[in-house]
Parts: sequence; structure tokens; C-alpha cells
Amino acid sequence: MTTRFLSDGALKQFVQALMAKGPVIGPVARKSRFVFAALEAPEDLRLDYDTTILPPKKLFFPTKQDLVKFDSPSSFSGCVEPKEQVLLGVHPHDIKGIDMSDKFYAANIPDSNYLAHRAKTTIIGSNVQKHYKHAFFGSVCRELKPQGHDMFLTRLKGGYLVEVRSKKGEELLALGKFEPASREQAAEAEAVNAAAEKNCPEKLNDTSDSVREKVRASFGSDIWNELSRDCFSCGSCNIVCPTCFCFDVQDEWNLDGVSGVRSRCWDACLVSEFSEVSVQGGSENFREERAERYRHRFMRKAVYLNDALGGPACVGCGRCSGACTADIANPTVAINTIMER
Amino acid sequence: MTCSCEKQTNGRNIFLPTLAEIVSAQMITATEKHFTLRMKDGAKFDFEPGQIVEAGVFGYGEIPLGLASSPTVKDSFELVVRVVGKVSSALAALGAGDTMTIRGPLGHGFPVSEFKGRDVLIVAGGIGLCPTRSMIRYILDRRDDFGKFTLFFGARTPKDMLFTDDLTDWRCSTCMDYHETVDRPDDRWMGNVGVITTLFKKTKDINPQTRVIICGPPVMYKFVVKELDALGIPRSNVFVDLERRMKCGVGKCGHCQINNKTVCMDGPVFRFSEIQDLEEAI
Ligand code: SF4
Ligand code: SF4
Ligand code: FES
Repeated sequence: MTTRFLSDGALKQFVQALMAKGPVIGPVARKSRFVFAALEAPEDLRLDYDTTILPPKKLFFPTKQDLVKFDSPSSFSGCVEPKEQVLLGVHPHDIKGIDMSDKFYAANIPDSNYLAHRAKTTIIGSNVQKHYKHAFFGSVCRELKPQGHDMFLTRLKGGYLVEVRSKKGEELLALGKFEPASREQAAEAEAVNAAAEKNCPEKLNDTSDSVREKVRASFGSDIWNELSRDCFSCGSCNIVCPTCFCFDVQDEWNLDGVSGVRSRCWDACLVSEFSEVSVQGGSENFREERAERYRHRFMRKAVYLNDALGGPACVGCGRCSGACTADIANPTVAINTIMER
Repeated sequence: MTCSCEKQTNGRNIFLPTLAEIVSAQMITATEKHFTLRMKDGAKFDFEPGQIVEAGVFGYGEIPLGLASSPTVKDSFELVVRVVGKVSSALAALGAGDTMTIRGPLGHGFPVSEFKGRDVLIVAGGIGLCPTRSMIRYILDRRDDFGKFTLFFGARTPKDMLFTDDLTDWRCSTCMDYHETVDRPDDRWMGNVGVITTLFKKTKDINPQTRVIICGPPVMYKFVVKELDALGIPRSNVFVDLERRMKCGVGKCGHCQINNKTVCMDGPVFRFSEIQDLEEAI
């Protein structure tokens, strides 16, 4: 793996060079929080962010994405028009989340709408400089190493250690004044990233394997009623999660009432309508109780997707903990409680 | 390291449907419309009995429907739409000569090879007759491939009975042992009255090796399985067809997920022994 050093001044110039080629999306401040948004100036980039409101999945899986355009009932075409973009400043655990969604969308019947956007995106990761108060990425999903990104930056004194992770990343070196990195700088960067994992403010107490088995076994337990008692079924915990992939498909007409578009938008399994089924003479809900829906999210994270993706589908970002008004979505609280019973 | 996406982007847009022309369309009950369709521009349409399609009208959306005809019929296929909402109403407004969009066939149908050479029992309640009709017709078209064939059909009232032409044939067919019942008779109904499980008393010699298909309203499954247990039929030889609200049909949107299975990819046909402990399934 190639490593380089990029001084603070050279970073600014590098970002400028990236912006000259196409959109660069990075963490920027919005009031007291951060979001991934297109940079308007290199100074907007806030690599010292703690977390973003929404995870970076929105860059390849937008909250609303057109799938098929139609001109009449019998004339239509697919609409996948991905554009080159650079996603800059993704934390290691969010890189893992992207890797999981890559695997999920590529599996079985591949989803070309997602994959085309993803393939046109260059990802430059960066280390966690400041912890989000609910982060616990140091104690979950450890078996998966961050992968699928093209370059990674770790904050050192006066600049960044740069790890080149792909051919695309290699090509980026031509855009900036990258200096040789010393062995000491590389070792320091490794220590910085290890410390970030160790110093997470929250923690899961058990290994993924034991969590998976215990959570699976708890399916019929009353604990889900207890944990979900205050749930509003708002779905916020789904929406902010890097590993929630569910969507709804809707058609919309243009003003002419003939042409229009079929698109998908994010959906949430915590919302009651999600699991409604039309059956003879009406509809039926196969997860009618909020406890069942609350349980489904945890099962999907800890068990179901774990079976399918080979690791827990929670990367420990802590976004759901912060997004839940009822303060009951925190996986460390819920899982640790289950594990203690 | 290259991301796995790069190899995959040439894939087809999985949301792009194909067009099917409606050959004939007919209301067969107050709320159900029966369509016979043919793929436009002569495209072939091969499927297994029990598979599903997403049928749609642009501007309204798509709904999952079980194929109601047998793949032994090569140049056309059949669907039944029950009018319950926005999309099904838009579909039901279509008539002969119109087009609808089709994506599929999707999912896994009945494992026909496991049924071959065996006695077969199909238990269909209400609109559950539509997806199972793909198998019923298949068996009748390939009659020598199967052993004794028994069909139970239950409807709420005589007016709710679907495929009345078929039923007339089946009643006097020597190729099958057909029994029917209604929950609520009208003045002219001469047949059996009662829930579908009452039909188990009407027939003898259902041997424990019989392969069974159940499709109907969710409440029906548990009672039918109880009867099958009493007959000594292992639950691994019993198949159920689960109808769930689907969106994408290709295992991505999560709408049809029950526990760790997706109905659109792992089903809609499931071996009963594999889903009996899935609390959300039935
Ligand atoms: S757990 Fe919290 S965030 Fe999730 S649906 Fe319930 S109230 Fe909303
Ligand atoms: S479940 Fe919560 S902590 Fe885990 S990845 Fe999703 S939002 Fe982050
Ligand atoms: S219908 Fe989308 S996952 Fe099955």
C-alpha cells in the first residue's frame, strides 16, 4: 500500500483540484451539526466533524431516486444517469456501512441503479477526530475491515497521512503535492486510528457471535415489549442508519397527466404501514405491534443481515441513539440489556 | 482494491418492465377480473407453476400477482386481479387490446419435481385458487406424471367462486377428486356448507406420502395443517403459498421480509416445515 503525507496547505490545494474536476461532497457545518453536502469552497470541509445527520449512503441511494420514466402506458425507459463525484471525509465505520450496502445491492439480483451511482463515486475516508457522543464503533463489527474506498486520510501534526487504497486513489496523487511519508508517520497514524476505536464513548459488551445467538434466541421474549414501550413508530432510527436499505416505490404524473416517473424513496420498517399486506377483504399487518417492528430492526441488524453479509449490520455510528426522541433506539443499551438477562 | 460494483453496472435496470398485451379480460366475480395476456413483440414468457409477476400500470404502480395459468400453455398466460386499491383498480379498468406492464417471473414456485410420481392434494381457499391454478392446470395437462390428485376448494359464498367453467369441468372430471364448500350458501347452493377442513371427511385414501399445497387466507393454514398432521403427512411435504405486499420483487426493498426470509426471493412458495416457526409468517 502506498502511503504519503499531505500538509494542511497542500490539502486545501488538493481539494480545490478535486473540485475543479467535479462535485466534491464532504462534511460541512449546518447550525450545530454536520451534513454531507457539496463543498462550495475548500474551507467548508470540516474533517473535525463528529458525525453527520444522515449517513453517506444518500450519495448512491438518494432519499428519492427515479427508476423509470414513462411517456404513456406503453412507452418508457430506465433512468440511471450517474455522475462522477468525490465523497471526501468518510469515517472508517461509515466506510464499512457503504461496503455492506455495496454487497447487499450486488447480491442475488444486482440493483444497477444503486451500483451505477456507486461505481462513479470516488471515496476518500478520514479518521475520527472527534467522537459523536453515542458512537460505539470500537466494539461492534470489528471482524470487518473498512474496504471499498480509494484513499484514507489520518490527521497528524501539520497535515495528514495518506493511504492509497485503489487504482483510482493512485491516480488522485497527480492532483496534489503529496510528500513521501516516513515510517514513523505511518505508525503514528495507525496509533491514532486504534485510539479512536478504543476511546468510543459507548460500548457493546459482547462479541458479534454471542450477540447474534442471544438476540436470535430472544425472539419470543417479553423483553421487546419492555424495550419498545415508548416507541412512536416514527422510523427515525431507520432513516439515519447507514445499514437500513428499505424503500418504497411510487409513481408520479407530470402536469400533463400522461407522462411521469416511477421512483423509490427511503422507507422505514418501524412505521406501521410498512408491513401491511392486502389480503382477502382488506388488509392485514404481519408486524402489527410496535414491539414486533422494533424487534425486526434489531433482528435485521444483529441476526438476519449478519447471516447474509457475514458480519453484524450495525457499524456503531450511534446515529439512531441520537435520532430517537423516545431515547430507546440506542443499540448499546438494548443489546447490553438483552445480553445481561 | 476495486469495489464489487464496477463489474456489475452493466446489469439491466431491474425496475424496467416489459409490455404484455391483453388478449381477453373478463370480470369473473363482483371484484375479480381475469386477464389472458401475451408478451408484446412475441417475446417468450417461461415460468414455473406458483411463480409471481409484478403487474402494473404506469402512473399507478405495480402489484404482485401469482400466475394463474400453467406453463404448459406456451403462447399466453393468465392473471387474476382482485380490486382492492389504487393499482388493482387501474389494472381492472383495462380491457382486451390494452397493455399492462409485467416484471417477472419472480421468486420460487412449486418444486414440481418433488410432486412428480406422487399423490397430490391442493387445498385452496378463496382467491388462493388463482396461484394454485397454475399447478392444477399443470397436473391436468401432464396427468400421467402424477398419482392421485385431490383438490379442495372453499369460498365464502357461491358468488365468490372463481373460474366457474373450470369448476364445472372439475366436478365431473375423472382425472381428479374434486370437493368444494362454501361458508354461507345461497338458495340455490346444493353442495357442502362449512369451513374447508370439513372436506377432509369427504375423501378417503389420502396417503401419508401425498405432497400438499395450501393457499388461502392466513387463518386457514393452521387448521388445514392440523388435519394433515392427523393423516400422518410430514410437514416437509406441505407447501404454502404466501401472499405479502411486495414492492421491488427482487429482494431489495424489504417490504416482503418476514423474519429472515423475503417472500419475493425465497418464496412465495415455502415448505411448511421451514416457516412454521417463523412467527411473522402465518
Ligand atoms: S425506536 Fe425511536 S426512532 Fe425508532 S421508531 Fe421508535 S421512537 Fe422512532
Ligand atoms: S443501528 Fe444505529 S448505531 Fe448501528 S449502524 Fe444503524 S444507526 Fe448506526
Ligand atoms: S418485494 Fe422488495 S424485498 Fe421482496
